[in-house]
Amino acid sequence: MEIFMDSLTKRYGKLTALNNINIDINSHGCVGLLGPNGAGKTTMLKLATNIIKPTSGRVEINNINVSQYPEKAMKYVGSLIEQPEFYPYLSGTEILEFTQKIRGISKEDYAIEVKRLKDETNITEFVNRKTGAYSRGMKQRLALAVAMLGDPEIIILDEPTFGLDPKGMYDIRGLIKRISKEHLVLLSTHLIYEAREVCDRTIIINKGNIGHDSKMVENKDLLKITADNKIKIISNKIINYTVDNDYIIIEKNKNFDNYEVINDLLNEGLKINYVEKYDNLENIYVSIINKEDSYR
Amino acid sequence: MSKLSTIYFQYIKNYYRSKSFYLMLFLILVIGVMMVYFSLRYVNTLPGFLGSTSLSPSLKETLFYYIWTFILANIPVFASVFFGSPALSSEIENRTAYYIFPLPINRYKLYIGKYLAAVTVTLIIVAIYTVFELGTLGFLFKNLPPVDFYYSLGLLILFILSIMSITFMISAIFNKNTYAYISVFIIYYIVFEAGSLIIELLYKVTPTYLLNEAATIIDRVYMNINTTDFLAKPSISPAPFSDVILAMLVMLIYLVVSFIIGMFLFERKEVS
Repeated sequence: MEIFMDSLTKRYGKLTALNNINIDINSHGCVGLLGPNGAGKTTMLKLATNIIKPTSGRVEINNINVSQYPEKAMKYVGSLIEQPEFYPYLSGTEILEFTQKIRGISKEDYAIEVKRLKDETNITEFVNRKTGAYSRGMKQRLALAVAMLGDPEIIILDEPTFGLDPKGMYDIRGLIKRISKEHLVLLSTHLIYEAREVCDRTIIINKGNIGHDSKMVENKDLLKITADNKIKIISNKIINYTVDNDYIIIEKNKNFDNYEVINDLLNEGLKINYVEKYDNLENIYVSIINKEDSYR
Repeated sequence: MSKLSTIYFQYIKNYYRSKSFYLMLFLILVIGVMMVYFSLRYVNTLPGFLGSTSLSPSLKETLFYYIWTFILANIPVFASVFFGSPALSSEIENRTAYYIFPLPINRYKLYIGKYLAAVTVTLIIVAIYTVFELGTLGFLFKNLPPVDFYYSLGLLILFILSIMSITFMISAIFNKNTYAYISVFIIYYIVFEAGSLIIELLYKVTPTYLLNEAATIIDRVYMNINTTDFLAKPSISPAPFSDVILAMLVMLIYLVVSFIIGMFLFERKEVS
């Protein structure tokens, strides 16, 4: 399973929505796309799902060029882009059956799979009603079921929790976590905590450019410490640390609790004033956005 | 092929459950009932300008088929506006494109499947009117329909294919349904109808290359009376064979050219 973007550029007239993007995602797991409104996240997903065509460069799904061979490439992809609508005079069941036939899923497989998906996305109650009468949340749940029907290797989701109630959001995050163990999930979201919770890798986009691309460091393993003195830290409970003017950021060994690490640091002579959890992703995000803004 | 039939039946389902279909159905029932009433009411009391009572029974039958078909030939235009105008623009405006475009389907198949579905529902509407026509005229004249009826029907189907193709092409240009509706109306009733009138009046030439002119052949196969052509002499004989061939050729050219352009535009359509 692979999504490969090579020198991908998309322009709308004079506006460059995506600028020379190069990304290779080639294993299962969840990759989060973060960025402010208009950063280019949805444009990237639209290009990867044949909704729009690139100005230059290419997107390949499992080595198949999406623009040139969309029918072949999209066999491997299930997607939920923006907030899709369905044909209003068809029921959710008819939409799922249509998708089944288009994806070439056998009736036997469909019967098993659709039962599972109905439970997972919680659509059983309303799936036989015409989609024209669905609420935003219902449409979003159906769209998720459609995206996962046929068990595609790659699942592309654009703000999948949009319009859902807190319980629905919780369920969907759990679902994404679970499917990303065997599938490649590309998830676009505004919510940093959502990306942190479900993603293994994050890509931050701003103004059509990639500002950051790295594996996720778990938030619970990072501590921000304010101290009166600065000393060399040698504790084996710490993997890495960085010293700033005002504070020290510590990446601790996940096998130790916070208090054990703090005790070690106190024993080493660090005069600690204040300790808090550190959200590195949020800080990276803000610094990238601020940096771009300061260039303007 | 199986994907094409899946798409076709999906859109058929969505069409025949739509408000547009029921509105067209209502209109066609009203028109059908009115035509039945006028046929029964005036079969023996034709006004003077239609030949009064001096027409032979066979000529009277042909005249009634002509009048029924004269009305019928306008129905595809309305059906194409109802079913064809929003066909592709609605995928963008109603955001269904976000669901349908990322599926593993070739856009050409989507276009063809939806086009055939729109043609099918138009044929259903036309068939209802034709049932009214055959029932009424069969009852009044106690005859099977003349052979011209089948020619007329064949030409009508060609016209439906052609006008729907143009409508789809226009729909592929726009992202808003309203623009598509207005454009189809403008093109048919201003560019074609008014254009035809202006060309005839100014240049004293019948613009046989315009689709609306070609479509008059649908009723002219009964009697060669073209109510929009000031230059032609009306005749109670059927239109000459050369006129039929020319009209078919014009409709065919409109069908093929607009179909190719429409598919090309839809293939490159972007949802932004």
